[in-house]
Amino acid sequence: MADHQELANSGQAPEVASLQTRGMILGGIGLALCAAGYMADSARFFEAYLVGYLYWLAISLGCLGWTMIHHLTDGNWGFPVRRVWESGARTIWLMALLFIPILLAGDHLFPWMAEGALEDHIIAGKAGYLNTTFFSIRALLYFVIWGGMALILTSTSYKQDSEGPEPLGVRLRLTSGPGLLIMAITVTFSATDWAMSIDPHWFSTIWGFLFAASDLLAAMAFTICIAKMLEHCPPLNKALTTDTFHDLGNLLMAFTMLWAYMSFSQFLIIWSGNTQEEAPWYLLRMDNGWIIISVILIVFHFMIPFTVLLTRKTKRAANVLVKVAIFMLMMRFIDLYWLTMPTLTAHGEHGAGFHPSWIDIAPWLGVGGLWLFFFSMQLRERPLTPLTDPRLQQALEGTGGHH
Amino acid sequence: MATNVSPLQSEPVIGPNQTYGSVTDKIANICLGKQAPPVFWYIGLLTGLALMGGLGHGALWLFLNGVGVWGLNIPVGWGFAIINFVWWIGIGHAGTLISAILLLFRQDWRTSINRFAEAMTLFAVSCAGLFPLLHVGRPWLAFWLMPYPNTMNVWPQFRSPLVWDVFAVSTYATVSALFWYTGLIPDLATMRDRATGKVAKTIYGIFALGWRGSARHWERYEIAYLMLAGLSTPLVVSVHTVVSFDFAVSVIPGWHATLFPPYFVAGAIYSGFAMVLTLAIPVRYFWGLEDFITMRHIDAMAKVTLATGLVVFYGYMMEVFFGWYSQNEYEQFMILNRMSGPYAPMYWMLIFCNGLTPQLLWFKKVRFNIPFLFVISLIVNVGMWLERFVIVVTSLHRDFLPSSWDMYYPTFWDWIIYIGSIGQFLVFFFLFLRFVPMIAIFEVKHLVPLSKKA
Repeated sequence: MADHQELANSGQAPEVASLQTRGMILGGIGLALCAAGYMADSARFFEAYLVGYLYWLAISLGCLGWTMIHHLTDGNWGFPVRRVWESGARTIWLMALLFIPILLAGDHLFPWMAEGALEDHIIAGKAGYLNTTFFSIRALLYFVIWGGMALILTSTSYKQDSEGPEPLGVRLRLTSGPGLLIMAITVTFSATDWAMSIDPHWFSTIWGFLFAASDLLAAMAFTICIAKMLEHCPPLNKALTTDTFHDLGNLLMAFTMLWAYMSFSQFLIIWSGNTQEEAPWYLLRMDNGWIIISVILIVFHFMIPFTVLLTRKTKRAANVLVKVAIFMLMMRFIDLYWLTMPTLTAHGEHGAGFHPSWIDIAPWLGVGGLWLFFFSMQLRERPLTPLTDPRLQQALEGTGGHH
Repeated sequence: MATNVSPLQSEPVIGPNQTYGSVTDKIANICLGKQAPPVFWYIGLLTGLALMGGLGHGALWLFLNGVGVWGLNIPVGWGFAIINFVWWIGIGHAGTLISAILLLFRQDWRTSINRFAEAMTLFAVSCAGLFPLLHVGRPWLAFWLMPYPNTMNVWPQFRSPLVWDVFAVSTYATVSALFWYTGLIPDLATMRDRATGKVAKTIYGIFALGWRGSARHWERYEIAYLMLAGLSTPLVVSVHTVVSFDFAVSVIPGWHATLFPPYFVAGAIYSGFAMVLTLAIPVRYFWGLEDFITMRHIDAMAKVTLATGLVVFYGYMMEVFFGWYSQNEYEQFMILNRMSGPYAPMYWMLIFCNGLTPQLLWFKKVRFNIPFLFVISLIVNVGMWLERFVIVVTSLHRDFLPSSWDMYYPTFWDWIIYIGSIGQFLVFFFLFLRFVPMIAIFEVKHLVPLSKKA
C-alpha cells in the first residue's frame, strides 16, 4: 500500500521542516537578544521572561485542553487538527525545562519571596501557601501532571494509527473527562502562583477561568495558523475543508467573546466594589500610560476581531481567517503583558508608568523559537492526521483519492 | 452527506419503526384528546391547582399586611423572594440553551426535548417574575421600575444591577416567548388541520396565523427561527450574569466575588438541565414517548448536568480557597461561618447535593438507570435552591457590625408562596402537555430517516 506509506510519512512535509528551521533561526536570534537583554538590565529581562514564558505555556496548555475537549465532544472540526494539538501538548516538557529561570529569579518576580516580605502581615498570613518550597513542589506537580497527561493522550493516539480507533478511543475518552477537571484545577493554581502572586495582596476568583479561556483562545488561533500553513499537505488537503475552517473560526470567536466576558466581569465587579484590596490593580492600569493599552485591548482584542469574525465570509475564507488568527496571537501577547507588566514594574526604577523596552520582546522570541522548533519536531515524527479515524477515510474517498 | 460514524453516539435519537405518519399521530393525538391523558396528568394538574390556591392566599395576605408577614428583617432584608427568583430564573436557562445554542451547534438530540424545555423556560420565568413583584409590596406600582419621563422626576438608579435585572429579565421573557411561539406555528397548523371539533379547529387556527406550509412560508420560517436563536444565545449568558451582579457588585463577603458571573451561569444551566430531566422522565414514561425521548437524550442531558455541576463545585472550592488566600478577616469569617455557623447544615447539605451527588453521573450505569437519575435530578434541584439560600442568608445574617447580627427564619407565608409558585408552574406545564404539541412534530420528522426498520 503505497498510499498508506505516503500517509504514514505525511509529517515529513516540507512545510513542517521549514517551520522547524524557522523556529531554530528565531530561537537563535531570540536567545542572543535574551543574552544581550540580561546583560543590559537583568531585572527587566526576568520580568519580560515571565511574560514570554506564560505566552507560550498558554499555547501548550491550550493544545492539551483542546485535545481532551475533542476526545469528549468528537466534533468533525477536530480530527484534521488533532495532531497539531497533540504536538503542541508535547511541548510541555520543554516548558518544564524553561521554567527554571523563573524559579531562579523568584525573589525578584514574586515579592513574597523577597527577604523581609514576611513583615507584611497579609503576606505572612499567606505564607502557608506562598512559600518557596511549596511553590516549587507545586510547579513540579503541575508539570508532572500536564506532561503525564500529554504523554498518555498522545501515545495512545499514535497507537491508534496502527491498532485502529477502538478500543483505544475508549481509553482516550476516559482519560479526557477527569483530565479536563484536573486541567481546570492545575491551570487555576498555576495562574495564581505565576501571574497573580506577583502582587501578593491582590486576588480575584475568576482568574483561573480567565487564564483557561485565554489558553484555549491562544491555542485555537495558533491551530488556525498551522492548519492554513499545512492546507496543501496530504492528507490535510482532503481532510481540511471550508467547513473545518468555519468551525474553527466559530470557536475562535466564541473564545474571544468568553475572554471579553470574563475580563469585563472582573473589571465591573472590582470597579463597583471599589475596595482597598482590589481596586489598586485596576488603578495601576488606568493611569500612567497604561490606559492606552487598556483601551487597545478593548478595541483590538474584542471589538474588532469580534465584528470581523461575526460574518460567515471571514470564517469560510481561510486566507482571511488566518489573518485574524495571527492578529489574535499578537493581542494575546499584549493582554499578558498588560496583566503582568504593570505590576512587575510598578516598583522599578522607572516607576509605575508604561515604559516599553526592547528587552520585553526578546524572551518571547527566544522561548517562541525553541517552542516552534520543538513543536515541529513532534509534528514531523507522525502522520499529520490520525490515520485510522473513519472520517479520514471518508474524506479521502469522498474526493476521489487513491489514484 | 457524511454519515455519523462517531462511537460516542451509539444510542439512536429516535426509536425504531417510526414513519412521518406515526410521528404526527402520536403527538397530535395527545393534544386532540384521542390518546386519553394518563391518570398522572389529572393528579399533576389538581396538585398544581391546589398549591396555586395557596399562592393566591399567600399573595392576598401579603398585600393586605405588607412584606412584614415574611421573615425578612434587618440584617437579612433579602430572603425567600430573591432566593426563589434566582432559582426559577436559573431553571429557565436550560430551555434557552437547548433551543438556541444546541441549534447553532447542530446537535440533533435537541429536537424532541426543545419544545417542552422552552415551555419550561417560559413558565419558570413567569414564576420568577412573581417574586420581585410581590416583594415590592405594591405591585400595582411596579411600573416604577421602568425608566420613563414622569412628573415626579424620579428615575431608577442606573448603576444598580436591580435595574439591569428589569431589562434583562423582561427581554428574556419576550424573546423566549417569541422563540417558542414561532417554533410552534407549523405544528399549530397541523393541529388545526387534524382537529375535528369546531372549537379546537378555530382556536388552533387562530394561533396558526394562516400557516399553509408553502415553500415561501418555510423559507421565511427558517430565517426567522435562526435569527431568534442568534438573539437568544447571548441571553443564556447575560440574564444570569446580571443576576449574579445583583450580588457581586456589592462589597458583602460571600457576594463580592469576580467568579460569580460564569459560576452563576453554569449553575443556572445545571439546575435547568436537572429540571428538564425531572420533567422529561415522567412525561416520557406516562405518555409512552420513549421512542422520541430516547436514552440518547437522557444520557446527553445527564452529561451536561455533570459538566455544569463540576463548574459549580469548582466555584465552591474557589470561594473557600480565595476566602483564605485573601487574608481579609471578613472573607475568612464568612467562609468559616458558612461551614460552622448557625446555617452550617444548609451549607453541608448543599455540598452533598451539588458537590457529591452529581459525581455519580460519571458512571454510564447511573446515567442509564432512569429511576436513579430521576432522584439525582431532584437532589440537584434542591441543591440549587440551597445554594441561593446559603449565598443570600449566610452572607447577610452576620453583618459587619456584630451588634446587628440576627437570624433569618422563613415564615408560613414565605413557604406558602414558594410552594404556591411551584403549583403555578405545574398548572401551566400540565395544561401545556395536554393542549400544545409537547414535541416539535415537524422537527422530529427530520429524524425519521434515522429510525431503524425492524
